[in-house]
Amino acid sequence: MSVLHDLSNDLASAVKTASASLVRVEARRRMSASGIVWSADGLILTSNHGVERDDNLRVGLPDGSVVDATLVGRDPTTDVAVLRVAGTLTPATWVETADVQVGHLVLALGRPEGDVQATLGVVSAVSGEWRTMAGGRVDVYLQTDVVMYPGFSGGALIGADGAMLGMNSSSLARGVSLTLPTVTLKRVVATLATHGRVKRGYLGVSAQPVRLPAALETQLGQESGLMLTAVESGSPAETSGLHLGDTLYHIAGQPVRQMDDLMAVLSGDRVGQSVPARVLRGGQSIDVSITIGERN
Amino acid sequence: MSGVYAQLNSALSGMIGSVLRSVVQVRDGSRGAGAGTIWHRDGLIITNAHVAANRVLQVALPDGRVLDATVIARDEARDLAALSIGARDLPTIPLGSARTLQAGQWVMALGHPWGVTNAATGGVLIGVGSNLPDIDLARRDWVVADLHLRPGNSGGPMIDVNGRLIGVNTLMTGPGVGVAVSVDTAKDFLRETLGATTTDSVIDSAGYV
Repeated sequence: MSVLHDLSNDLASAVKTASASLVRVEARRRMSASGIVWSADGLILTSNHGVERDDNLRVGLPDGSVVDATLVGRDPTTDVAVLRVAGTLTPATWVETADVQVGHLVLALGRPEGDVQATLGVVSAVSGEWRTMAGGRVDVYLQTDVVMYPGFSGGALIGADGAMLGMNSSSLARGVSLTLPTVTLKRVVATLATHGRVKRGYLGVSAQPVRLPAALETQLGQESGLMLTAVESGSPAETSGLHLGDTLYHIAGQPVRQMDDLMAVLSGDRVGQSVPARVLRGGQSIDVSITIGERN
Repeated sequence: MSGVYAQLNSALSGMIGSVLRSVVQVRDGSRGAGAGTIWHRDGLIITNAHVAANRVLQVALPDGRVLDATVIARDEARDLAALSIGARDLPTIPLGSARTLQAGQWVMALGHPWGVTNAATGGVLIGVGSNLPDIDLARRDWVVADLHLRPGNSGGPMIDVNGRLIGVNTLMTGPGVGVAVSVDTAKDFLRETLGATTTDSVIDSAGYV
């Protein structure tokens, strides 16, 4: 039995280590969410969807005290928000996910109320970069089978030594538990702490995938494009000469088959740039140059 | 820290890496895909009947090959199907038995939930047999565990801590409850449906590992 005893104690010890940096975030009407202490000078990391308002925010600290917090910035595309509280806190220790393998035991931690709560699971899948439904770039796909109880969003995924592997969010996908990896958090927090927001490209169109004409499909080896179902007045799309009913099938050197392909092109670093594009209009392929705007 | 947590992680990921060599994807050409497990090295795959509902199937091997598959036996009552693919010297999964399992033992299930390939889920065994609550009593030898099966896990292996096949993932009955057809039922199925044309060495192919 000693090995089970040892395992239980190791799990509890990892939870205890991480708990010193795990906080409660009171920023929405119904249930509090969780947060993680990012820096000793008071930056708190949490999930954007758990921060429903911009002010009257409060954070429950590990010592039981509750302090006022201000919003530093938020990135809806990766579901990250950063808050600031006054005081000196214990920052979390972060590790990269390079050593994480399918089958590893991991714990999800949350502090929806006073005490830290934990659930145990295994790493289900680890793979490369992906994009959230809102178009945010996440460097590592990290899926686990931990159960995320209400209020666990903004909490931590931890490994054997109590170090943080990332931040859990229940809003990134339905039906599975996904974790934002350390590398992505570092990038997003750095941007939010400096600019208060993450720049995103903007066209001002609604679109839906449609099948390309057979001849074009054969020529390109591409089945679908995006038909523009709305072009906002005065938007970058309109200014660039895009029309309602155009089918966009190529932009910035990349094929556009579905919405994700377009979202991938609309990254923050492209704001202000002109990119070449090809659209199908009245059965003819035409070249256009599109200047990418910035989403407010 | 005793270090047992880290040792377990290393043992679990090593064991899963080995078993994944025998886990295939079963595609029916339309929506989604199920999983399957290489039972015999010369191209015998075990999966669910509901994964092999179409006549035209393809099997994607871990080495990247995608081969046409033939359904050689199918039994909806037991939700099992045997597929044949034109490949030889494939890595097979070692066979265990569900009859010696005990409640509380650590088990894992592999497959492709929601299309995420080669994913793992784990939990403890709830029980084995027919007298489990909310399970259709007409079908015996279920292996029931508190893990998370999702569409795409069907037909993949449920395994013990030694990486041996104990069941074929078949369904979820609620949040956090996964059910597999026991490996013993799968052996009976293969013996009954292929027995006339093949030998016990194929059915008990653990010896080939």
